[in-house]
Amino acid sequence: MSDQKQLFKGKTAADRISAQGSDQLSLPRLGFTFWIAISWMVLVIVAAIVAPLLPIADPEEIGVGPRTQGPSWDNWFGTDSNGRDVFSRTIWGARISLVVGFFSIVAGFLIGGTMGVVGGYRRGWTDQALGFIVFVLLSFPVIILFLLISNIVGQGLWEVSIALSIVVVPSVARLARAITITFAEREFVAAARILGATNRRVMVKEILPNVLIPMSALLLLGLGLTIVAEGGLAFLGLSVADGFSWGKMIQLGAAPRTLQTAPWVAFFPIGAMFFTVLSLNWAGDRLRQHFDIRELGIGGR
Amino acid sequence: MAGVMVAVTFVVFSAMNVLGDPLFNVVGFYASVDCDSVLAGETEDVIGTVPGTGKGECEVVAEARAKYHLDDPLPVRYGHWIVGMLQGDFGESYKNQMPVSTILAERLPKSVLLMGMSVVVALGVAIPWGVAAAYRANRGFDRVSTIGSFSLLSIPGFALGIILFYFFVVRWQIFPSRFKDDNLFSRLHSLVLPAISLGLPLAAVYQRLLRTDLITTLQEDFVIMAKAKGLSDRRIMFRHVLRPSLFGMITVVGLNTATLLGGSIIIENIFQIPGFGRELFVSAVRDDNTVVLAGTVVAAAAFVTINTVVDLLYSYLDPRVRRDV
Repeated sequence: MSDQKQLFKGKTAADRISAQGSDQLSLPRLGFTFWIAISWMVLVIVAAIVAPLLPIADPEEIGVGPRTQGPSWDNWFGTDSNGRDVFSRTIWGARISLVVGFFSIVAGFLIGGTMGVVGGYRRGWTDQALGFIVFVLLSFPVIILFLLISNIVGQGLWEVSIALSIVVVPSVARLARAITITFAEREFVAAARILGATNRRVMVKEILPNVLIPMSALLLLGLGLTIVAEGGLAFLGLSVADGFSWGKMIQLGAAPRTLQTAPWVAFFPIGAMFFTVLSLNWAGDRLRQHFDIRELGIGGR
Repeated sequence: MAGVMVAVTFVVFSAMNVLGDPLFNVVGFYASVDCDSVLAGETEDVIGTVPGTGKGECEVVAEARAKYHLDDPLPVRYGHWIVGMLQGDFGESYKNQMPVSTILAERLPKSVLLMGMSVVVALGVAIPWGVAAAYRANRGFDRVSTIGSFSLLSIPGFALGIILFYFFVVRWQIFPSRFKDDNLFSRLHSLVLPAISLGLPLAAVYQRLLRTDLITTLQEDFVIMAKAKGLSDRRIMFRHVLRPSLFGMITVVGLNTATLLGGSIIIENIFQIPGFGRELFVSAVRDDNTVVLAGTVVAAAAFVTINTVVDLLYSYLDPRVRRDV
């Protein structure tokens, strides 16, 4: 962990020097918009963590305010048809959205990253077999794939995260493989092998740190992707069975009657999800440019 | 390609057969009746099973077993299915005994139309937008449009669908709230909003890709050459720069377009379109194995086909690819 931090610092320092010096190709700065995006993320995450301590209404309590009332001083985001406070529900809804999004992207990176690094380093039939698996995963309609897995594992918080991670595995595996290949033939890898390092050691100690840095930008973009995917699943009633996330709130708010009489019930969680995904995309893209990774269109799916 | 199809269908086939009892999915709770003893005449009404079940129900069960080859081992059953599939016979739906091909023939055209319209929306917006942004990169318009494209990129398709639904259907009532299948115009009319919901976020993705590639191409020597010859900016952009810059975008278009076919379930739900994605989803939830299998085949085939078409497009766009092959 400390190794990574030093590498990170070293890179930005080098970047600063080259920017001060000649007009050579310097890495783009992160810029203040990057920090705005990060601030929003911190705000959302902190609010989600300390939600039980905040002086807000109980999200499940019926009749906190008058029923179906637009945004007011007492209920900032209005109330739904059961008189529940939409503001407090939006904060509480962030919990499942963020947790499922976070764990599925982490699981997706573990699975896809391992596949990519192993395939890109070993090459040969291992690479071909892994490439075939990635292509098969891509050919599935995502919803069928998800239903198959969630049929096996169930609808708890962790289970949904694991099932959802499959959505990002193909993109992550492809990218990790592409980056690994650029490093696998480099001198320091050859040196490690000549010194007698095992394949596993080379992959973990030599290649993985180099793959991780550029991939970290994709982690943010991917988190945006999984948060949206969880929203979609919740919309179909397939996400975590207990509790509610932004997606679940949007689904409830999008019922024809509710949408007609109380559009704010759907619109506020949509807004929360939108700003969160926007700041993740923005921060991720700035990081990606900072590390100079070619655009691969991961945001498309 | 055939290997991918076999792998995909085999995974789905085994998963659906192992996870749920296919006999139960066909005949419901009659599957638990001890039919062997009923048919042998030993009992009329077995204790612990459904009261009032007699020979009639058990004949239905026996028929279902024979029809779907349920007494055979899994690989044999898969063999039966794949042989039938290759002859164009997808079998019958477990739930309503309609031929699966009839169901698909009714559902697919709507989704294909929606897919086509979404691609038109996506490319129709992305190409002019990308060209305009790259023409004066990092200047006023490009900066504003970057914020715009990131915003669009960050709206989930279903959220955009709900917002559009609220304003254009609930508030202003310009578009119908459900799919109308009267004539071509009503079909196109009721698919406008769904196509925008699916197409606009994709347009943002494509615009970003196209813009990046255009900027790279604009730095090539032949652009300076063309400029030196006195060609107009418009001519250089559209005749010389656009074509070689389309590759990155088209690859991603290929990957995304096929997923639109099976992946537009939520949009089809919001706008009440009885399309392919919705059928696939409903069948999967109801364990209607034959329909899910056929749907998966269609979706995977669409994915493989569209990506092959994209490969062919490369050689059309870049003569060098043609010469290499």
